[in-house]
Amino acid sequence: MIKLENVSYTYMPGGPFEKTAVHNIDLTVPDGQFIGLIGHTGSGKSTLIQLMNGLLKPTEGRILIDGQELFSKDVKMRDIRFKVGLVMQYPEYQLFEETVEKEIAYGPSNMGLSEDEIKSRICYAADLVGIPDEMLKKSPFELSGGQKRRVAIAGIVAMQPTTLILDEPTAGLDPKGREEILFKIKDLQRRMNITVILVSHSMEDIAQMADRILVMNKGELSMNETPQQVFARGDELAKMGLDLPQITKICNDLIKAGYPIRKGIYTVSEAVEEIKRLKFV
Amino acid sequence: MLSDITLGQYFPGKSFIHRLDPRSKILMIIAYIVMTFIIDNFTGYIVLGVFLLICMVNTRIPVKFMIKGLKPVVFFIVFTAVFNLFLTKTGQVIFKWGFLTVTDEGAKNAAFMILRLIFLVMGTSLLTLTTSPIMLTDGIERLLSPFGLIGLPHHEIAMMMSIALRFIPTLIEETDKITKAQTARGADFESGNLLRRIKAMVPVLIPLFVGAFRRADELATAMECRCYRGGKGRTRLNVLKLGIVDLIGWIVVAVFVAGIVLTNYYGVF
Repeated sequence: MIKLENVSYTYMPGGPFEKTAVHNIDLTVPDGQFIGLIGHTGSGKSTLIQLMNGLLKPTEGRILIDGQELFSKDVKMRDIRFKVGLVMQYPEYQLFEETVEKEIAYGPSNMGLSEDEIKSRICYAADLVGIPDEMLKKSPFELSGGQKRRVAIAGIVAMQPTTLILDEPTAGLDPKGREEILFKIKDLQRRMNITVILVSHSMEDIAQMADRILVMNKGELSMNETPQQVFARGDELAKMGLDLPQITKICNDLIKAGYPIRKGIYTVSEAVEEIKRLKFV
Repeated sequence: MLSDITLGQYFPGKSFIHRLDPRSKILMIIAYIVMTFIIDNFTGYIVLGVFLLICMVNTRIPVKFMIKGLKPVVFFIVFTAVFNLFLTKTGQVIFKWGFLTVTDEGAKNAAFMILRLIFLVMGTSLLTLTTSPIMLTDGIERLLSPFGLIGLPHHEIAMMMSIALRFIPTLIEETDKITKAQTARGADFESGNLLRRIKAMVPVLIPLFVGAFRRADELATAMECRCYRGGKGRTRLNVLKLGIVDLIGWIVVAVFVAGIVLTNYYGVF
């Protein structure tokens, strides 16, 4: 469980370019849920997730991971990072090894696992993100953009973190690649019962995947609710520069046109059910 | 640590010094550097110090920011000072302990060396802090243009400099990002012996170099797409113009240069 108490983070405090990116956040992320994190560009999403695995040290407040306080003396930060796996934006630019296999092994070998264990982790992670066996011996630099992305995600998944944070994992991928990666992540979350925090600009992705949505606005956490509740507040989202899923927009238009449809519909299947109920006179 | 690098950092402002023509500023800095080296007495340094102080106050750049620029060269300053202190053999011996002797001339040399280096770093960082990289390279290009007659590729030199300066912040940011990404994968940069630490840098350096080459490639393509083919026949959006500000600036500099040269003859100590 990740718990943030009164957390603020300021870049370059005291300097000429001082900027508070995250302000006064109280948040509890329960275990085993799929959390969507949305917010306009510059709203502090990336800062927030970097605080969660201790890449950044909060200027104020404290962060607890399973009850252990980050940056307290007796907590090893590396162990925290193995527990809370973070896939940063455009992770394909962090690849460096000779082969895909070694690339995926980097995290697990930093954990000090045995050779056999590392091998099984490679197979496990490659299988999960959809990397075929023959690709394992190739250089990561010969792969296509989408494949590189998978390798980078596999590198984190191989550490088997109990919380997996992904910062826009599908940015710049083709629709098929997006769908596949998201589906794999959802599958992983269900099968291993881990917590996933997904940062995305795509409301469709979030609507499809998330059990709960966090909305960041200007460094503050302005919503922490179920997708249904969040997407029922379309006007507020629009003010923050955020959009609704297309299907929600269609339903809202139908409501405006006088059809008795309930608010806060965010998946196509729900909408279909709701529209079927309508009695056309 | 990386954010400590103030070299090449521009601090926007509208002060007198900010508004000086970059060509003037570059030549003034050259005059300033010559001054720091020809001064041979403390009175001269006081005059130079007053000049630097006036400039610093004028730019309104926080002093803390300027002091930070000194940090990376502290080791270098201490190193040269120590060498001058103990290795100058001429002059009267004022201190002796074992094989270490300090002469009055050595002490003076060491003090001068410290002052020179501090003045040098503070002065030159004032140039980059108050001049945007584009203005700076424009200035250099114009100043070098006479050498174009003897075949010096002045435009290309200026272009390379501006690209290099332009990418310093980008590379710093990139290093920071990659370091974070590898830290998230359990990389450990802080423990182990020297060899282990160097090895730990490999996962950062390789992506950094790959990224630098990728960027260079993209930039070259982008420039070619916009028909860039070197300096010949290129016109510019903002033509540099000398103005009244520069005239006043040069008068002030001339007064101080004269004052400093005079202290070499009439200096008190």
